[in-house]
Amino acid sequence: MLLAEGLIKSFPGVRALDGATLKLAAGSVHALLGENGAGKSTLVKILTGVYRPDGGRVLLDGAEVHFGSPLEALRAGIGVVHQERNLVPEFSIAENIALQHLPHRGGVVDRTRMRAEARRCLGLLDLDLDPDTRVAELSVAQAQLVEIAKALSVDTRVLLLDEPTASLTGEEADRLYAIVRKLTAAGHAVVLVSHKLEEVFAVADTVTVLRDGHSVAQAQPLSGYTRDGIVDLMVGRAYASVRLADRTVDRAAVPALELTGVSTGHGHRDVSLSVARGEILGLYGLVGAGRTELAKALLGLGEITGGEVRVHGTPVRIRDVGQALRQYRIGYVPEDRKGEGLFLEQPIARNVGVTVWRRLARLGLIPDRGERRVVDEYTELLGIRLASPQQLAGQLSGGNQQKVSLAKWLAAECDILIVDEPTVGIDVRTKAAFHELIARLAGQGMAILLISSDLPEVVTLADRIVVLGEGAVRGELANDHDYDAVSQRVIRLIHAAPAAA
Amino acid sequence: MKQDDNPSPPEAARQAARLPLWANPRIGLVVLLIALIALFTTLRPAFLNTQLTLVPMQSDISVYAVVGLSQLAVLSLGHMNMAVGRMAAMSAFAAGLLHDRLDAPLIVCLLGGLATGALLGALAGLIIARTGVNSFVVTLALDFALIGLVSLLYATFTDGVAFGGLPAGMSALRTDTFADYCAGDVCGPEIPLLAPIALVAALGVGLLFRWSRIGREVLMTGANAKAALLSGIPVNLRVVQAHALSGLLAGLAGFLLSANNGSFSAGVGDGFLLPSFLAPVLGGTLLVGGAVSVLGTVLGTGITQVIYKGLNLLQFQVDELKLYIGLVLLAALSLDRLRHVLAERRGVPA
Repeated sequence: MLLAEGLIKSFPGVRALDGATLKLAAGSVHALLGENGAGKSTLVKILTGVYRPDGGRVLLDGAEVHFGSPLEALRAGIGVVHQERNLVPEFSIAENIALQHLPHRGGVVDRTRMRAEARRCLGLLDLDLDPDTRVAELSVAQAQLVEIAKALSVDTRVLLLDEPTASLTGEEADRLYAIVRKLTAAGHAVVLVSHKLEEVFAVADTVTVLRDGHSVAQAQPLSGYTRDGIVDLMVGRAYASVRLADRTVDRAAVPALELTGVSTGHGHRDVSLSVARGEILGLYGLVGAGRTELAKALLGLGEITGGEVRVHGTPVRIRDVGQALRQYRIGYVPEDRKGEGLFLEQPIARNVGVTVWRRLARLGLIPDRGERRVVDEYTELLGIRLASPQQLAGQLSGGNQQKVSLAKWLAAECDILIVDEPTVGIDVRTKAAFHELIARLAGQGMAILLISSDLPEVVTLADRIVVLGEGAVRGELANDHDYDAVSQRVIRLIHAAPAAA
Repeated sequence: MKQDDNPSPPEAARQAARLPLWANPRIGLVVLLIALIALFTTLRPAFLNTQLTLVPMQSDISVYAVVGLSQLAVLSLGHMNMAVGRMAAMSAFAAGLLHDRLDAPLIVCLLGGLATGALLGALAGLIIARTGVNSFVVTLALDFALIGLVSLLYATFTDGVAFGGLPAGMSALRTDTFADYCAGDVCGPEIPLLAPIALVAALGVGLLFRWSRIGREVLMTGANAKAALLSGIPVNLRVVQAHALSGLLAGLAGFLLSANNGSFSAGVGDGFLLPSFLAPVLGGTLLVGGAVSVLGTVLGTGITQVIYKGLNLLQFQVDELKLYIGLVLLAALSLDRLRHVLAERRGVPA
């Protein structure tokens, strides 16, 4: 149905696509895979009219097409749901869905028709939502589904989904994929871009793998590959799942961070957990279980209403992040690295140095050389690839950005680190390097609280796993790194009825 | 100052290769300044007359550079201070009152005025930080309130709209240049006494934003307040401090203008608002916060005043002057936008 062949697209200094080919058949789910920088986003942007290719052609039903703008691609029947949210929060669902082609009568928006149209699109997805609800009031998952409804509102034949489940829980993702199957049964072609190989294998029929701008597998049936086979193709070398060195944790010692019966203004009840020096505690739970909120409450950004927090055995009451950092040496690497972890428009040097200025300052002034030394030390330690410390953080790749976000806490010499979803949207190879890094930090005696919705990640890294659900601890288990056994126990804990509802 | 003021040599070479020279805002400003001076001198040779033009122009540049710095102090946060003019008026009133009632000497009047400005700025900052209301709205409301207060105060404490006397030494600030002070046969240059005060202010603000922890943390807060909070920066305190600095500089500008005018009057600061934005924006300071350029602000002030004086000499009317200044601002903003587009195109692909 859709054929894009020999696509070439260059940016100054980079050839993002170098003869990539994508072939879609109606009624199938096609996975588009590749590491960060392999050219997936560029390919998606060419298909949706954001970029014009330097070479190659796009055929739709055998006829060559040229898209001058995203609107033209949309009119040709190619819809896309980007990784970033593209809804207007203050508008209603109906307004968002109809935004690109508002039905009007005599110059005035025809609200009745707009609502009817929105209901039709929501109906396609079996979504029971009031079209007049403001998007700002929806959950992340609901907003995601509304975006798909929006993409379907025009006569979409090809639907591109870019990391659709990055912010969804397992159950919500299952629901999304049920809808995807329904769409393909109705003759739509769906392209799925995802880093989560488990999902890809569960859903997709065929696969195209990009590496360095080439397609190294073209529209092959996915059943012919194993998970490791796909990873080998993406990475271009035999890839073995990381097996991290064993660490020994002294559990008899006083825990670095200990929570006893903590409840918070956000609705956590009776949360008890502890992290020892040199230990990685995995805090697992579904999105919305309140893990990030718990971390923020610990840092003084939320109210702790009951219970006790101890740092190295001393009861503490932390007012703000500054105090957490300077007095208790607690660092927090946030989940939203672009919004909360980094200053995208500032140089890397300032992003790393921000936590150490107080220490470096002489008479309130920061010597350039001192800052330079700290920044060099930690960018080198973490292997951050940069042109110069004056480069803006926003110009780095996702993996390197995350390293910068981590570097400032290492530079601040933290000994308790809370890491929130460290590898969301990061490709397989960088992810493995990150896991090794976190394990190494723990090996050096750092206490690490790892918040993650990525179960394989938790099983790989954690020494113990605490499962959080609806603001309460559902259970705690030791991790022996045997994925099948541990993941089953974790899933059982999640779906167990809350002990005291 | 902008972060790219002090790049290492290879980095400087790389950036120069990436952007054409004319796209560097500060070099562009210097070229524009020289071109304007040459143009006006050709049209009216009197433009280079020391007593008629150059000395008063330097005094004006000194006043309005400080006005620009006052706005720059909050632009660093991505905030605005719509009350610069009235903060200056309140400071001038405080200075005048100190002299009128307590017969305070010049330096005490100055410090009293600065303290008044700083307190007003801190008040604005405190309201913004506490309530989260947009700085534009808060300072606009404050400006309105202060307009009334300034008239009331002058009506209560003076016969009309100005204090009668001046502290000793203030008129020297107005009339004297360093050429009036000689050591033997060697006299100073024809530079008004106000200029070094403005220069110290500019150096101080530059130092603050380039090398001090507080200044940098203000910039980081402007760049991304959430990330700043999560990096342990006391965000609310920095907001209050930046606004207090803005008020302090507004107060200094009010004092300098009073010295220039020869009286502490209610009208001080009336014309401050537009120039306060004009100079930093011409100089390449971002309205969204996170980056400031002190040198650019001074150059921007220079250009504005050269245009003003030049058109004045060519006997343009006041309304025409405003028209042309407005056009210059528009042109500068367009050039700035062009620079961004160029930088993006030559930057890293998405």
